[in-house]
Amino acid sequence: MRDGIELARRGRPAVALVTEEFWEQGHFVASSTGMPDVPRIELPHPVAGTGEAAMRKVAEELAGSMVAALRGTA
Amino acid sequence: MKTLDAADEASALEDLHALGCTDGLPVVVPTPDRVDRMVLASGMDPDGVLGELGPLGGVATVGVVAANAVMAGCLPDHLPVVLAAVRAVAQPPFDLGEMQSTTHCTAPLVIVHGPVVESCGIAGGFGALGPGHRANASIGRALRLCMINIGGARPGVSDMALLGHPGKFTYCLGEDPALSPWEPMHVDWGYRSDQSAVTVVGAEPPHSTLFVGDADDPGSADRLLDTLAAVIANVGSNNAHFRGGVVTVVLNPDHAAVLAEAGMDRAKVREVLAERATNPRSAIAALNPAFAGDGDPDDPIRAVPDPADLLVLVAGGPGLYSVVMPSWAAGPHRNPAVHEPVDLDQACAVPWAQ
Repeated sequence: MRDGIELARRGRPAVALVTEEFWEQGHFVASSTGMPDVPRIELPHPVAGTGEAAMRKVAEELAGSMVAALRGTA
Repeated sequence: MKTLDAADEASALEDLHALGCTDGLPVVVPTPDRVDRMVLASGMDPDGVLGELGPLGGVATVGVVAANAVMAGCLPDHLPVVLAAVRAVAQPPFDLGEMQSTTHCTAPLVIVHGPVVESCGIAGGFGALGPGHRANASIGRALRLCMINIGGARPGVSDMALLGHPGKFTYCLGEDPALSPWEPMHVDWGYRSDQSAVTVVGAEPPHSTLFVGDADDPGSADRLLDTLAAVIANVGSNNAHFRGGVVTVVLNPDHAAVLAEAGMDRAKVREVLAERATNPRSAIAALNPAFAGDGDPDDPIRAVPDPADLLVLVAGGPGLYSVVMPSWAAGPHRNPAVHEPVDLDQACAVPWAQ
């Protein structure tokens, strides 16, 4: 979350990927750093350790919304 | 139970601190009215005896325990859990007097099971052993205050822990069945899952255990078990040296899922961990030769020889870290876990906050 915020602060297109278990914390961090609207996308939890096939599926499902967020068209 | 006179709440609090009746933090002053209402909510006789608490051997009655629960910040709904925890540590096999007197850092960990977990709001997920959960904080603290005020524990006098540990302020969590792939732990003790109960075990603080799973790795569950076994067998621990005592393993939900998906139930996990948590005799001999015993230097020495002495439960947030709580492993009964039902039949609602 903080990486996404730091990149956004530097004017770079950024989108933070946040799993559902940490979604609320993502809001908290975004608000506490003064960037409540920083782009972020919710991922299922867990992603790490679920294997390549499961991670590819998540990527395929969310790639479009990631690109849209980076383009600012989400 | 003695009643003190004080001009106001602030001076009453200072008197309680001066008398050594607190844990060093402010307490709710146990006025007769507050204690009476706490007892009333329990529906029990205030003179009912729960047991004796060592090393002082003070008699734990419902009334005195209720006074300590008030001091700890408990709500009336919490009292049946506190009463069960006090009954548990008063069981002779728990060796409370010895445990309070040891120089080791150990504290009773209270694990709450069954419907009372939800009805009292006892946390079992994110940060369950940390600050921010009133029921966890108050119930664990109430037991500690009973150990001070009824059991007579005073640091450096009768509680001889060389350093202690933060769980000696409060050490309580709930077992949340929604997080676990297995039946609640108290079912192993013979309770039904719809009954409420507490398990209490003397435990060190949590020792973090890092494991990153990989669903593409058929050995993932084995690696997790090896990681947990390595922490259980920590060669500097009492368990490694004394070869016994209950060790508590708190799996986070992700780690529990890895083991469940590998087809393991709780009994199998305990069995495998007991087998793998070993040190070669030579490793113990190199550190503390007096505990190495006689035999081949390559002998695998189990830290927890009996799988029944491994408590395995699921709690905490999902992620990379589970915890292991080693134990004192000493005393006449070797640091066993004890359990008691939570009696909710007598309890009733009374007005509380004013």
